[in-house]
Amino acid sequence: MNPLYAPLVLEHYRQPRGRGALPRCTHAADGVNPLCGDALRIELRCEDGRVAEFAFSGESCAITTATASMLGELVRGATPAELDALAQRFAQLIEGADEDAAFGPLNAMRALQHHAARRKCALLPWATLRAALAGLPTISTETEHA
Amino acid sequence: MTFDSNPYRKDFPILAREVHGKPLVYLDNANTSQKPQVVIDAVDRFYRETNANVARAVHSLGEAATSAYEGARDKLARFINAPTRDEVIFTSGTTQAINTVAYSYALPRLQPGDEILVTTMEHHANIVPWQLVAARTGAKVIAAPITPDGELIVEEFVARLTPRVKLAGVTHVSNVLGTVNPVRELAKACRTRGIPLLVDGSQAAPHLPIDVQALGCDFYALTGHKLFGPTGTGILWARKDLLAEMPPFFGGGEMIRTVSFDGTTFADAPHKFEAGTPNIAGFVGLGAAVDYVNGVGFEAIGARERDLLAYATAALESVPGLRLFGRAKEKAAVLSFLIDGVHAHDLATLLDHEGVAVRSGHHCAHPLMQFYGVPATARASLAFYNVREEVDALVAAIAKVRKLLG
Repeated sequence: MNPLYAPLVLEHYRQPRGRGALPRCTHAADGVNPLCGDALRIELRCEDGRVAEFAFSGESCAITTATASMLGELVRGATPAELDALAQRFAQLIEGADEDAAFGPLNAMRALQHHAARRKCALLPWATLRAALAGLPTISTETEHA
Repeated sequence: MTFDSNPYRKDFPILAREVHGKPLVYLDNANTSQKPQVVIDAVDRFYRETNANVARAVHSLGEAATSAYEGARDKLARFINAPTRDEVIFTSGTTQAINTVAYSYALPRLQPGDEILVTTMEHHANIVPWQLVAARTGAKVIAAPITPDGELIVEEFVARLTPRVKLAGVTHVSNVLGTVNPVRELAKACRTRGIPLLVDGSQAAPHLPIDVQALGCDFYALTGHKLFGPTGTGILWARKDLLAEMPPFFGGGEMIRTVSFDGTTFADAPHKFEAGTPNIAGFVGLGAAVDYVNGVGFEAIGARERDLLAYATAALESVPGLRLFGRAKEKAAVLSFLIDGVHAHDLATLLDHEGVAVRSGHHCAHPLMQFYGVPATARASLAFYNVREEVDALVAAIAKVRKLLG
């Protein structure tokens, strides 16, 4: 089968971590990918300038869901500036940059180098995360220049 | 897998290739069709033997290029049974054709409160140009509804043909649902009220014989690349009297009679609407595509597609959790569907790995997706060169995807 749908990706798709809502979130944003109609909501609770809790919800494809699930495991304890820098590196990763230890299981998304049309699926959770941290209520993959 | 049962496959060289080590199963024909060798050869030969600009050069190549280009116009005029070749305007495709009508016909006529009537099942190309000119004039775009089976509710369309409506637009065949609309009936209703009707024939041209006189419409647009011709080609057919009233859409060379800084007079249609150097080789290729389609014949095309549609409908209906969109009684071989628990984009990516090319997404039909309450569908669209074995390959690949993602 297609390496984009590696067992680890499918596992996060079937059993996403952090799916749901945060009752006491401090930051939230809704992201859409108008090319496919996918919509993702990310809610965060930040403490002392760092992400303490992460949750996501919405209807999305396996790639978006798995990316959001993996992203949630990565963001805890990070500052918005650190996540901005990681987002830039992630954009390079899915275009075929070398594996990057900082990304852990998200390295599976390197397979997107062969699927340019699907890259926005993996960028949607990142764009939504950054919008939430920046205080933007909504974001679209068509306006985000991550 | 053998596809020898279809004698036309060998005419399309790309169909012999493999994708991810599997035979290509090309089921994205409504997106763009593949090109027969005769079309590829016509374009190739034009550049090797004939290439020159049209309608200006007096040398031999110029004469030959003009003759080939205008010869393609004759072929297209016959293909749609236009009363005269001068009513056939070459465009870059349906989008440019509809925009020409929007800007040259509708824009000068629209007043605040006027309406342009379309249907829920239109492609964005038959919605957005009207919205743009409506925004400039204070007019608005309204839509006639469809049934859950994907058929236009004709009475609702006719009921909306009030004196406010200055133009109506309808797709001949839906790119998502395959629905064949009753264009003759709609044109008659428009005609008796003095409302011009534009028909978007993008999806009809590869499947049905087109007779603009019998249809009774006023504008007919089609695109060449879905008709087995090159990309960047298409036509706008319009009644001569309408074309005479329409100012040019683009200005430039080849569309003028005289130019001075005191003013310019324009050539007659069709050249009035063909400013600049056109896609000459492309139209020569489109002429070859029309010859090819005529050679196969719509009787054979229709028979093969009806068989494939019936076979594919039954095969997809047997897939557990599959929801089919579009069950019109008159339907072209287009099957939109969703599978429980499988996103359309995941499906299309994973099917591709099995060599099966389908489209996923909103198919440039957001209002239709909203009508069905889904963000996207997967779509298998068949051509006469497809075979039942390819439908089997699609169904087998879907089963694999369900196992993986279900």
